[in-house]
Amino acid sequence: MINLQNISKIYQPNIKALDRVSLSIKPGEFVSLVGQSGTGKTTLVRCLIGEEQPTEGKITIGDWDITRLSKNQIPFLRRQVAVIFQDFKLLPKKTLFENVAFALEVAGKSGDKIRSIVPQVMKIVGLGSKMKRYPHEVSGGEQQRAAIARALVYQPKVLLADEPTGNLDSINAQEIVDLLKKINEFGTTVVLVTHNREIVNRLKRRVVTLHDGRVISDQAVGKYSL
Amino acid sequence: MFISLARAAKFSLQDIIRNVWLSLVTIIILVLAFFSVNLLLSVQVISKAAIDTVRDKIDVSLYLKNDSAESDILALRAQISAMDNVREVIYVSKQQALEDFQTKHQNNPDILEALRELDTNPLSPSLIVRPSDINKYETLITNLNRLSSPIIESRNFDDQSLMLQKINSITDRVSQAGFVVSLLFIFITLLVLYNTIRVAIYTHRTEIGIERLVGASDWFIRAPFIISSLIYTLIALFLVRQFFTFS
Repeated sequence: MINLQNISKIYQPNIKALDRVSLSIKPGEFVSLVGQSGTGKTTLVRCLIGEEQPTEGKITIGDWDITRLSKNQIPFLRRQVAVIFQDFKLLPKKTLFENVAFALEVAGKSGDKIRSIVPQVMKIVGLGSKMKRYPHEVSGGEQQRAAIARALVYQPKVLLADEPTGNLDSINAQEIVDLLKKINEFGTTVVLVTHNREIVNRLKRRVVTLHDGRVISDQAVGKYSL
Repeated sequence: MFISLARAAKFSLQDIIRNVWLSLVTIIILVLAFFSVNLLLSVQVISKAAIDTVRDKIDVSLYLKNDSAESDILALRAQISAMDNVREVIYVSKQQALEDFQTKHQNNPDILEALRELDTNPLSPSLIVRPSDINKYETLITNLNRLSSPIIESRNFDDQSLMLQKINSITDRVSQAGFVVSLLFIFITLLVLYNTIRVAIYTHRTEIGIERLVGASDWFIRAPFIISSLIYTLIALFLVRQFFTFS
């Protein structure tokens, strides 16, 4: 599914964020990518969504080489590889419904389709009754659910979650992780980037550990070992 | 394509309404910019009209002998009309001159009384020549000076050229000042507009980033801005037009 071959990313003048990272993720896997702050987790995510280009190496998603994407191709990548962030990145002047609908609108989906898909997805993430609220009117957990709903409407093959629980209390964080597990059960590959030890240990799934830009461990059923 | 355009229009209207203060400020800035440019144009148009009116008033009078025959006068008039740079030649008959004189001095009983004392009309007929191009005034004067006709009593070409110089210098100064002030205003307007656009983009920078992350193409991100700016401009133009129509 996702293949990273010897990915290196060097920021000028000489900061090595990623150092020959090779990683293979199968379809339908749930992988936790762990490591302390500044170990290159976010750089890896940015490379996977086309925000950054690796200095060396090759990234493929399915048969698609995304290492050197042109600007025009990025919108199409976003519909295959959805991403959620620690700070939710919702549009503040749009309601939760409009935020989710926006993802479909940019893809040129019809109004009828949007009106039928969005409420369904909102119900799946548990926001069926809060669709008309603005982001500042709901809790952090709910904002992250809306962000997840927005990521799901494309029915992406991969969902990247970059520290999705970083701004949440432990109860909300656990709920978000449960939601990610549910999405994974529907068949979406999930890559969870986190440094939350408790969450990783409770998941009992594959754990890839990064340190100083390198993969230092990759366990099928792993624990947070740093 | 149509659906994207309709959506861009929807987003633009939503944005204008939900960022109502920013929208208002933008419209006010545009109104002020258009207003200042319009005001300047109006001043220039008015001053040009004023100067043209004064230029229209410039003429040369040929006073004719009191006993000139009507046919001679009309022949002279035809001769002058055929000259270069003559817009029109007006014939003021003795009777007309008397009437004009009376109207001019209607509030001065002494003069009217004196006129009544005289039995005959003391005024002489005249031809008023208006040049078509004020800048070739000198040539006209030379031509008129060359004109020889027994019925010409006197030629009144004196202080017109001085007046003309004054008018020309005022016109030049007005148009020079107008040009400089116009440049200044255009520069200020452009700066203000540039800044307004920067502020709008700065306010929306997070949103633009998020939209890109969600997979919006550049066109999809830009279109609502373009539509919003069109709407702002139309509203501002409408307001300025209303102001100038009513004032």
